[in-house]
Amino acid sequence: MKFDVIIIGSGPAGYVAAIRAGQVGLKTAIIEKGKIGGMCLNWGCIPSKALIESAKLFRRISKDASKFGIDGIDKKSITFNYSKAVKRADTIVTRLTSGVEFLLKKNGVEIIKGEAKITSKNTVTVENRSLEADNIIIATGANSPKPEKSIDVLVDVNDLFTDREIPEHIVVAGHDAVAVELAQLFETMGKKVTLVSPSDNLIPLADPYLFEYLKKTFKKEKIEIIYNTSLSDLVKGYSNNKIEVNGESIKCEMLINASPRKAIIPAMDIDIDFDNDFIKTDEDCQTSVSKVYAVGDVNGKSRFAHIGSAQGMHVVNKIKGVKQKLDLKKYPINMYSIPEMAQIGYTEPELKERGDDYKVSEFPLSANGKAMTEGTNEGFVRILSDNKYGEVLGVQIVAPHATDMIAEASAYIQLESTIYDIAQTVHAHPTISEVFMEAGFEAVDKAIHK
Amino acid sequence: MKYIFNFPDIGEGLEEGTIVEWLVKKGQKVESGDLLVTMETDKVVAEIPSPKTGTISALFGKAGETINVGDALVEIEIEGVAGEDAVKEVEKGSDMEAVEEEGAGVVGTLEIAGSSAILSGSAEGMSTSGSTEETVKKKVRATPVSRAMAKDMGIDINDVKGTGPAGRVTKDDILNFSKSRTKHPTSSTQTAPTETQNHVDVEPLTQIRKTIAKNMIQSKHNAAHMSIFDDVEIGELDRVRKQYKDRYAAEGVKLTYLAFIIKAVTYALKKHKSLNSEMDTENDNMLYKRYYNIGLAVDTDKGLVVPVIRNADKLSIKEIASQIQSLSEKARDGKLTMEDFKDGTFTITSYGSIGGKYAVPVINYPQAGILGVGRISKQPVVKNDALDIGLVLPLSLTVDHRIVDGGEVSRFLNTIMGYLADPVTLVME
Repeated sequence: MKFDVIIIGSGPAGYVAAIRAGQVGLKTAIIEKGKIGGMCLNWGCIPSKALIESAKLFRRISKDASKFGIDGIDKKSITFNYSKAVKRADTIVTRLTSGVEFLLKKNGVEIIKGEAKITSKNTVTVENRSLEADNIIIATGANSPKPEKSIDVLVDVNDLFTDREIPEHIVVAGHDAVAVELAQLFETMGKKVTLVSPSDNLIPLADPYLFEYLKKTFKKEKIEIIYNTSLSDLVKGYSNNKIEVNGESIKCEMLINASPRKAIIPAMDIDIDFDNDFIKTDEDCQTSVSKVYAVGDVNGKSRFAHIGSAQGMHVVNKIKGVKQKLDLKKYPINMYSIPEMAQIGYTEPELKERGDDYKVSEFPLSANGKAMTEGTNEGFVRILSDNKYGEVLGVQIVAPHATDMIAEASAYIQLESTIYDIAQTVHAHPTISEVFMEAGFEAVDKAIHK
Repeated sequence: MKYIFNFPDIGEGLEEGTIVEWLVKKGQKVESGDLLVTMETDKVVAEIPSPKTGTISALFGKAGETINVGDALVEIEIEGVAGEDAVKEVEKGSDMEAVEEEGAGVVGTLEIAGSSAILSGSAEGMSTSGSTEETVKKKVRATPVSRAMAKDMGIDINDVKGTGPAGRVTKDDILNFSKSRTKHPTSSTQTAPTETQNHVDVEPLTQIRKTIAKNMIQSKHNAAHMSIFDDVEIGELDRVRKQYKDRYAAEGVKLTYLAFIIKAVTYALKKHKSLNSEMDTENDNMLYKRYYNIGLAVDTDKGLVVPVIRNADKLSIKEIASQIQSLSEKARDGKLTMEDFKDGTFTITSYGSIGGKYAVPVINYPQAGILGVGRISKQPVVKNDALDIGLVLPLSLTVDHRIVDGGEVSRFLNTIMGYLADPVTLVME
């Protein structure tokens, strides 16, 4: 059987590439050893967001109901039913993954279940079945590696959103969005959480300004943070629901492995180059072997589903002869903390290093009417713009729906817009996104409501 | 719809102008071509005409204020034009380039600056929908930053090929275009070592330099240049000039040789009509002009300009002298108006005051001839078979040989020389 493209892995990088390839008339096969949709749909983005919504609702009912004028709720009698929340998440996941499967079939993509092995630059075998292809796209993703020694309280992220008991004392090992989100999720459910970062940062990709904000939030929520400590340090120091590390003693009934992820490398007979723990690729996501590509987490360029999807599309376009440029600075990154955080473009340290002549304009949510009515007026919109032409170089948002609001900034950056364009883009009132326009005014001259 | 008319580039590479006087008021109805405002730039005072018919709804700036080229000047309410038609109407405006004043001097082009101020981005899609699309100039797809950059770097965004989605011009496209543009001049000296490239200062062409270049090439392309040189002894003219110089100086008029020369030329043109003519090749006609407007090439620090002494045949030598004086002053102070450049029929270039005996001047196309006036000097001359000291004026005449035959050229030059050798004849005519 000969294909134009074989894609290994059906996460957001792989399945988007497959659907696109089918759409543009390429004979396409996608190989999946686990579940269609990969980490994002099955164990990552989607179920975690469903759980976070449950937790936020729980907190709102227990903390804010009476303030909002709802009487009769006995704080002591409400509890968080983790199993039910997981069931709700499962329903969403099933609906989405079957949707993806339907789209793959609709676009003529052959779905092959099983484990793939790349036997040459043109052949892939799946359980004794040999498949030929002009192009191979590796989209196998990444995961947090297991520590050498295992302990009974250790839980992988993939096993977390299942019907299980959630104990009182939780330790989350890792940094970046996944670790931060999980720490806040369990804290919001009323658990005692310690976040242990392997570095001196919690969100290394984000502007330090967001990190500072996050630290304050964690302090308020009494989430303890320990820096520069790895998962194996924790495992080594563990005994009897207690971790002794750096001279501290932490209670631990569940240790979540959200440590920095490494590429999942499929079996292969071809010789391709690696870059540390990831498959090395060029600017078009091609590996050191011609016509063998790697997209998504497996190439280590980013750890976000939408960026993996963009890379998948890019490779299919390249195969079809469409020349484009992938620019990571034009892709937003997002985090479902409470409140949410999102960012696009350059961070302040990056601009300083580039030697840009820039300015910072910020407008807080605290002066925003809609945010006040919603009872969540923490956060800001922060714009970094070039002083010469007013080009929007970077945007950072902290807001209840920052991850949706960042889309506006993505459009500004994609279109190379200026602060004048932001200031002249009328935003409906009352909305939280008005803050964006105000930050634009602030950048051009002066905000109205400041 | 409201049409915002921006201060146009009036063709000298100037970036700003000062409002001298508003010629319209808010609420006043104007026809396309009606004069709106008098603007003073470093070099000319120009009356700016309205590009549209409508009612003035706003004036931007007061007399004495400085306006940058491309900034809003007036807002004109155009009745009954809305929606898609409005976009077309605006685009028509931005298409109104190079309104050339017929027979004007080197500063003869009037460019209407882009009126993108009120064009919304959404118009990009609309320009393809109209049936008149061929006549409507398409707005280039470009990002806001690339537009700002292009304006700042003096790049015509229409020249840049866009590589963004749907061919949108991006910041990188402008940067690459600018890089390839600055590389260009050095590419002709590729054999030279890179070290010398560092010794080349790259300066963008000014509008006046571009116009001069265009007009010179147009002349050399279209006319068949032929030149003739001769000397004339002007001892008598010198005597007359000296005799009256002080008297006129008391009246504030500087009596120069040039005034006599212009007078002599106009009389000679009257006798040799082919030198005061123009060939209309489109209609296969000769146009013999019965008016005598003499252009004077004036050297200014910004470049060559050619203001015109109108109806020089009807002026006395004293009047001509006084006009030379005022035109030169205006040229120096940048106060020449478009009117001062219009409708020349023959040109005189008097380089001798700076230096040089003979030259091969380039015709101010489409005129038929140009007279070069060299440096006057004392020379040995033969008078009545005896050697004498004479005051000699060297003349260089270039003609368009398509129009004027050789014999006529010599006869024309002889006539001029005759007047100059015997200046009394200038009064006798």
